[in-house]
Amino acid sequence: MNYRMLGYLFGIIMLIEAALMVLPLIVSMVFRESPVPFLLTVAALIVLSFPLICRKPKDTRIYAKEGFVTAAGAWVLLSLFGALPFFFSGAIPNYIDAFFETVSGFTTTGASILTEVESLPKGILFWRSFTHWVGGMGVLVFMLAILPADNGQAMHLLRAEVPGPTKDKIVPKMRQTALILYGIYMCLTLILIFLLLLTKMPLYDSVVNAFATAGTGGFSVKNASIGAYSNPAAEWIIGIFMIIFGINFNVYFLLLVKRFKDIFKNEELRLYLLICVLSTIAITANIFDCFASTEDAIRTSFFQVSTIVSTTGFATTDFNHWPSFSKTILLLLMILGSCAGSTAGGLKISRVIIAVKNIFRSIKKTVRPRSVNVVRLDGDAISETTLHATANYLSVYFALTVLTTLLLSLDGFDLETNLSATLACINNIGPGFSVVGPTGNYSGFSYFSKLLLSFDMLAGRLEFMPLLILFSPSVWKRN
Amino acid sequence: MNIIIVGGGTVGSAICAQLARENHDITVVDENAAALSEIANSCDVFGVAGNGAEISILRKAHADKADLLIAVSAKDETNILCCAAARKLGTKHTVARVRNPEYSELMQLLQSDMNLSFTINPELAAANEIYRLLRFPSAAKINTFCRGKVELAEFIIEESSPFCGITLNELRRKLNIKFLVCGVLREGQAHIPSGHFSLEAGDTVCVTAPDKELTNLFKAMGVYKTPIKNVLIAGGGRTTYYLQSLLQNAKINSTIIEKDEEVCHALAADYSCTVICDDSSRQETLLEAGIKKADAFLALSDVDEENAIISMYAKSLELDKVITMISRISYMDFFKSAGLESIVSPKSSTVSNIVRYVRSMTSAGEASDIEALHKILNDSVEALEFSINSPIEDVTDIPLKQLKPRAGVLIACIVRGNNVIIPTGDDVISKNDTVIVVTSGKRTESIKDIIA
Repeated sequence: MNYRMLGYLFGIIMLIEAALMVLPLIVSMVFRESPVPFLLTVAALIVLSFPLICRKPKDTRIYAKEGFVTAAGAWVLLSLFGALPFFFSGAIPNYIDAFFETVSGFTTTGASILTEVESLPKGILFWRSFTHWVGGMGVLVFMLAILPADNGQAMHLLRAEVPGPTKDKIVPKMRQTALILYGIYMCLTLILIFLLLLTKMPLYDSVVNAFATAGTGGFSVKNASIGAYSNPAAEWIIGIFMIIFGINFNVYFLLLVKRFKDIFKNEELRLYLLICVLSTIAITANIFDCFASTEDAIRTSFFQVSTIVSTTGFATTDFNHWPSFSKTILLLLMILGSCAGSTAGGLKISRVIIAVKNIFRSIKKTVRPRSVNVVRLDGDAISETTLHATANYLSVYFALTVLTTLLLSLDGFDLETNLSATLACINNIGPGFSVVGPTGNYSGFSYFSKLLLSFDMLAGRLEFMPLLILFSPSVWKRN
Repeated sequence: MNIIIVGGGTVGSAICAQLARENHDITVVDENAAALSEIANSCDVFGVAGNGAEISILRKAHADKADLLIAVSAKDETNILCCAAARKLGTKHTVARVRNPEYSELMQLLQSDMNLSFTINPELAAANEIYRLLRFPSAAKINTFCRGKVELAEFIIEESSPFCGITLNELRRKLNIKFLVCGVLREGQAHIPSGHFSLEAGDTVCVTAPDKELTNLFKAMGVYKTPIKNVLIAGGGRTTYYLQSLLQNAKINSTIIEKDEEVCHALAADYSCTVICDDSSRQETLLEAGIKKADAFLALSDVDEENAIISMYAKSLELDKVITMISRISYMDFFKSAGLESIVSPKSSTVSNIVRYVRSMTSAGEASDIEALHKILNDSVEALEFSINSPIEDVTDIPLKQLKPRAGVLIACIVRGNNVIIPTGDDVISKNDTVIVVTSGKRTESIKDIIA
């Protein structure tokens, strides 16, 4: 383990967070609120990062191990410091609660412990939503985009943060890849802000809601989430953009360079859109009687499908009261998630495709033991290593879900609450069912449960391995 | 530039590492996915798994938009095919590694008819390098510039050397020889010395001098070794094959030991040297072949370990010159520290050849072209040959003492027509000159980069 380099990278990450915090600082000043919580945090970040970055380490080599540890460490550090403004301002008086809220922000989960948000300072709420935007594309990707990459091994960092079963750059140079990803991300966010302004949503609300949509996070500045605006046009726009941010960003790059053939070849994209359409139709049919107009029914079911499948977690209605068929569809969508390489969470559709195809392959193999079959995705053969990793991922996912549900049950809530809270956190969605449903929140859980769920959110966002290897003693040996 | 590299073996990955550092957009194509991910983990490059001669794979690597394709896979035929296909798809330039001597004529045909830009024959390059070393046995390494007009020689200062502890200014005053010390390697650290720099025992020194003066310099330093007349070569591979034709022309006697009977027959059929069919790693074989009487011993077999061991043995016999061929580039430093001073590696010379070609491509069309690039002093210093095509502001027609070069830059030599000028402060660089610049640290791409 290259501790010096690790410390150096952590120092840079802390400085980046200090720089990012300037934005909410400005917002607080614009709204004539106290900037002190942010100033204190920025000062702490700069002072503590100074000894780490004052000297560049001689040995800058990092390997897969360091890449994973950097990713995990960076996210924990970001959350630890990101929680300070909530704590200092008194918006969230308890530090563990503030930590939970920040982890939920950076991991784009959107699970909140706050029961009343509208009375909180605007600057604090801006920071809360901004963490979604930063966490959506990832802070290491951001670091790679702005820092000159003198080190080819930085690929390990990208790989540890970008979600999906297979990870690759879209252009040969990592820095350009990171710049392109962030460029697309920023443009889409700006378009969304502009469209929301057209629906007469106030500027501040448009910006924070756009952040939460872009990162597929789900924190809102209203107690009743997007439903509070009673603005059907905004609901349609946000609903569509949540789907858009759930698509692999490589697709937008292919669109930009006009490689349409490659887009049509993308099995994951086709299945994702098909799932969205079919689920919307099924739920609309199921809940049709509860609504006055057809448009209302379609819009509400589309919004819920989109918010859940993209793992955002906005709400326009309380689906707790829906029939169990609709609720079950939503539960399945929760687990499924969106496309690899997007800002969304969940299992990722490509991973599910690979897993299902692998099941068919096993069946073929059982019928004809000596037959040789290859699993294909987008026409290309998937390597055995990726198949193994996918199967492994599912096992870890299952194990962590079961374990968390078991530990949560100590708090005395019902099974539906515990299971859905676990799924909502691991998949980075936010709201679950019952107590943690769209109108409820996570404040009732014990501190232990909140820390556990924080761990799950981070593990889910970084796709398990970076956090799990922290528990392996051999990682910490010097070399 | 957009560069595609086909083949991710030793050479492919070394080229990748170097070119990625020089900020090119690189795509590597290799059939072995494991080797590919190994490269993608250590360099900032893009990997495409598959056969580089397959059209669909080349399309995937965007050969239509590539500026250069470098084919260095294991097979000559694949490399040629690959370049031809890439040209058809729209790649601007192609470089192929072709090693088989039987294809050497074919390559000329291909270069003219199929527009292959450049072919590399690593073994031929290695043979040329070995031959240069044999001509100047006193030097550990020789690089030539300006088509052989200028030589850059590296040698090690021994404890008995009269040069120990003398500053370069004194040295130049004492000897009436035109030469310039352009780099010193001390304890792994490269220095571009000024006149006040004094030499110590154990330093590796790099000097420039015209061809004729170099011999005088070696004589003055007491390291002069008489020209080599008898050579013993262990291993009869391609390098030996190419080298033998050079040796024969220079009328140097050689004895080749090779295990494989067929190879022996081929060598004996083509050349008039002594060929012994035996195991060159056996001590008795070497003694019987007359290693003690030989002026130089060349370990050129295919096995690195064998080459290293028999070279160390030859070294212990105090022959004038021992040259070792090593293909594992990464162990170069270790072998040097173990006392093998003249190491030749076909692979590393291929890498530097290609990097040189890419650099000169990048600089093409500018006021100064890079004609040659050599890595000297354990690859820590670069020696570049620039041709000055047009007057350049702040550089040409200014006495060198008024020029303000960047730290770590030295103008080693100016070639004007057939004259080799070892520059002093009063000399100037003018149009149509060829200038040799030695630099450490920051990369130099044009002659303008030498100015602070």
